[in-house]
Amino acid sequence: MNCQGFEKLALALARDQFLDAAVREQSLAHTEVCVRCAAHLAEERALLAGVHAIVAELAQQEAPARVEAALLTAFRQQVTAAAPVVIPMPIKTRTSWQRGAVAAGILILISMLAIFWQRSGSRDQQAETRAVAPAPSALDRDRATPAQPVAPGPRSRVRHHPSGINSDDIEVVTEFFPLREGEDLTALASGQMLRVELPGSALSDVGLPVTPETVNTPVKADVVLGDDGLARAIRFVR
Amino acid sequence: MATPMTPSDAELLQLIVAGDEPAFTALYRRHQGFVYRFALMMSGSTDVAEEVTQEVFLALIRDTHGYDPARGALDAYLRGMARNQVLRLLARERPYVPLVEEAEEGAAVLITQLIARDDQFRDCTRNEVIKLVRQAVLALPIHYREVLVLCDFQELSHAEAALVLDCPVGTVNSRLHRGHALLLKRLRVIGKIDSAARDTQGTRCFA
Repeated sequence: MNCQGFEKLALALARDQFLDAAVREQSLAHTEVCVRCAAHLAEERALLAGVHAIVAELAQQEAPARVEAALLTAFRQQVTAAAPVVIPMPIKTRTSWQRGAVAAGILILISMLAIFWQRSGSRDQQAETRAVAPAPSALDRDRATPAQPVAPGPRSRVRHHPSGINSDDIEVVTEFFPLREGEDLTALASGQMLRVELPGSALSDVGLPVTPETVNTPVKADVVLGDDGLARAIRFVR
Repeated sequence: MATPMTPSDAELLQLIVAGDEPAFTALYRRHQGFVYRFALMMSGSTDVAEEVTQEVFLALIRDTHGYDPARGALDAYLRGMARNQVLRLLARERPYVPLVEEAEEGAAVLITQLIARDDQFRDCTRNEVIKLVRQAVLALPIHYREVLVLCDFQELSHAEAALVLDCPVGTVNSRLHRGHALLLKRLRVIGKIDSAARDTQGTRCFA
């Protein structure tokens, strides 16, 4: 056997793969007379030792539990989705620049509304102001789960006005969606909530479904402003 | 005593189509590990590995019928999907991925010590070895890296890897050999490793 022949077999030899006994014998005999090929075999074996160390290191590595939780949520939605119109959004499909663009657009809109609102001095007519401490749990993960319709469901809740029994006062609201990536809303100690109207297409910006009928229909939304005046989160109201 | 039968992938998939959540959980837990580890070895990033795992199983939820048992086992299908997702994410993240440190000096230490006189890890800690080899693997071109990850790290046969990569077995063979050669080159400082042996040999022997 020459070096060319050995090179083809070096990897199989190093991996202790099944080889014809005679071929194996010849290969090993070659390493007795060729120091270069013997070194090559030793290198391959050393490399595989490193590979095995990595395999052992990674053997217990698994996807974190939150992945399973998110997938189960998606599975349930897939099963319960009666209307085929709503296609669940893939988890974390939005790229960071898309999220940034959406957040920037909403921030500009909110800032303009806030300036207008402050100048007009008619807060009572346009805004519902109150101290809020939004502490929705695992908001980031909520955003990463597939979209749900704005209707009573796991991510929506009914809000009753304290003084009213009139059914017109019942509002259905979604959870809060952070407007900046990585925003921890639980860290927001105080702020203001501003009621605004947005085009229906804004629903899609946070991953909620939009039908052709609702794309131009105005929707109400509550925007949480931080102490610095910047919009931090939004929820939609029906 | 009879042991309970473990449902096959095909049986679980049938249950999943019918909306059986425990079946999905069982299938996910059975296969998520290698999907996650494949993506982790390919990208070196737990974030990418997590996202790939999500995307692969989300695609399975959306289109269970996309898998055709006649074309191969489910794990090969999932690995194929994972590979596509990894390539997509790596292409997307490429401008932001820091260059992999070549660590030439450390690599020299690695190989010479790995092969040192029957004591592979005498002076080089196991963690250092792991770090250096992983860096070297991540620095390989994708088409060599994926073959190495499948055949060496996930211990697939060449035929199984060919199925995942949708290429001939011969291509897997040649890429594996070439990948190993590149990996050794990265982990070796030419002239230092076994230099005495090389000097005595000079040129390739044809004994």
